[in-house]
Amino acid sequence: MDKELVRAAIHDTCIRAVTEISADVRELLRQALDRESNETAKSMLSSMLENLDIAKQQDKAVCQSPGYPTTWVTFGEGGFPDFVGEAVADALAEATRKGYLRPSIVDPLTRHNPGNNTGEGVPNIEYQYHPGQDYMDFIISFKGCGAELGNAMKIFTTATLKLDQDFAGLKRFVLETAINAGGKPCPPFGIGIGIGGQMDIASKLSRQAISTRKWSDTNPDPLLARLERELLDNINALGLGAAGTGGDTVCLAVKIGRAATHTAIAPVAINFHCWVARRAGIRIYHDGRIETIL
Amino acid sequence: MSRNVLHMPLGEEEVRQLKVGDVVYLTGHIFTARDMAHLKIRTLLEQGGQLPKDFAGAAVFHAGPVCLKDEAGNWKLNVIGPTTSIRMEPYADVVGKLGIRAVIGKGGMAQDTLDACEKYGYVYLQAAPGCAAKLAQGIRSVYDVTWFELGMPEALWDLEAVEFGPLVVGMDTHQNSIYKTLRTAALEKLDALYPEKG
Repeated sequence: MDKELVRAAIHDTCIRAVTEISADVRELLRQALDRESNETAKSMLSSMLENLDIAKQQDKAVCQSPGYPTTWVTFGEGGFPDFVGEAVADALAEATRKGYLRPSIVDPLTRHNPGNNTGEGVPNIEYQYHPGQDYMDFIISFKGCGAELGNAMKIFTTATLKLDQDFAGLKRFVLETAINAGGKPCPPFGIGIGIGGQMDIASKLSRQAISTRKWSDTNPDPLLARLERELLDNINALGLGAAGTGGDTVCLAVKIGRAATHTAIAPVAINFHCWVARRAGIRIYHDGRIETIL
Repeated sequence: MSRNVLHMPLGEEEVRQLKVGDVVYLTGHIFTARDMAHLKIRTLLEQGGQLPKDFAGAAVFHAGPVCLKDEAGNWKLNVIGPTTSIRMEPYADVVGKLGIRAVIGKGGMAQDTLDACEKYGYVYLQAAPGCAAKLAQGIRSVYDVTWFELGMPEALWDLEAVEFGPLVVGMDTHQNSIYKTLRTAALEKLDALYPEKG
């Protein structure tokens, strides 16, 4: 593996992530505008699509808020290069200097802003070892934080899931959370749902599901695919609409990740993602080939 | 159709005539203020300190812009868009007492703000979320920045707006809120779909 090539590819992926939204989400937005019957929502969706064009033409950030960056590095026996964190931090600093990222990372208590979008634990990188994987995947995602204000987590049980009513307890919790979130997460939003593990695992699954999957994909797990579809339809039927000011599409995608849990519990984490889906990913093979995956 | 352009400072009567769903554009000074600026303003008021700006008739934007300095050292606005307004709900009365006539943001606010809108005469205006490059076209220049030590997003920016918008009246002075109406309807649908709570 050529170290400089890989470093350059990681850099370019970070810059791509902050200057455009992923193609799958743009297409879902366009489809939402085509179907929309509410005049205010039509105007909001048109503004969003127009904003993407203006940002591109003027080489500007799509959104003033850079959100919070999380990176996933998955690797097999070949491991991963030791400079991933450094390469991401360098790219964030450059993007901040150029005005693609507003300096927005602060100390959680003192609120001190060092001005460079880094700090203790930031950039956050999730390294995951996948036995047998003969490549490294690198995905970076910038998720807005108004969306975080709508997030919720609950530890369900067999009884509260309402297993005997096709998970009615789980579904009600998701819809209730969407109603409480309303316009806060910059709808039309995406929702990541993590189910299983303990609180920490469910939360991480929820972010990974909505940040690393294409919003237009179909879950290979038939049960999760059915739940994702049903929740998406029912959330949109609530009528909250783009921007939360009424309309046919408040949600573009529901993505569920699951992990085994203890027999006493069923942790569920609900994680909103604004429509400005800034993320990008590449696959790096050990023979030096690099391909775009997101 | 001609644009409904309002000019700052805004008058109480013109603001009280607005109804939810109306679309307006704003021209004149717009002040940005989010969590830290609101906290600072309230603290100054409690301590009898001097405020840096006259907020009578003002439009306050829940936003933190991306600004860059040019070669001459002057601030240039790059992009700007609304942040989530509900965080500023605890300041509903402070905003009213200052004489602010329009609050711009996203996601709407709650009952304290709706009551303050009616009592003091101000409206809540919804901007298109995540549309920072488009909205920046309505800002001509940066007049100045106060409290920059709070960081770029949290500082109080004084901006020159020219037909800034479109902005939808989300909450008016007559106890009408798009967000409240939609929420009530959505909760009814939820109860019809899944009647059992808990």
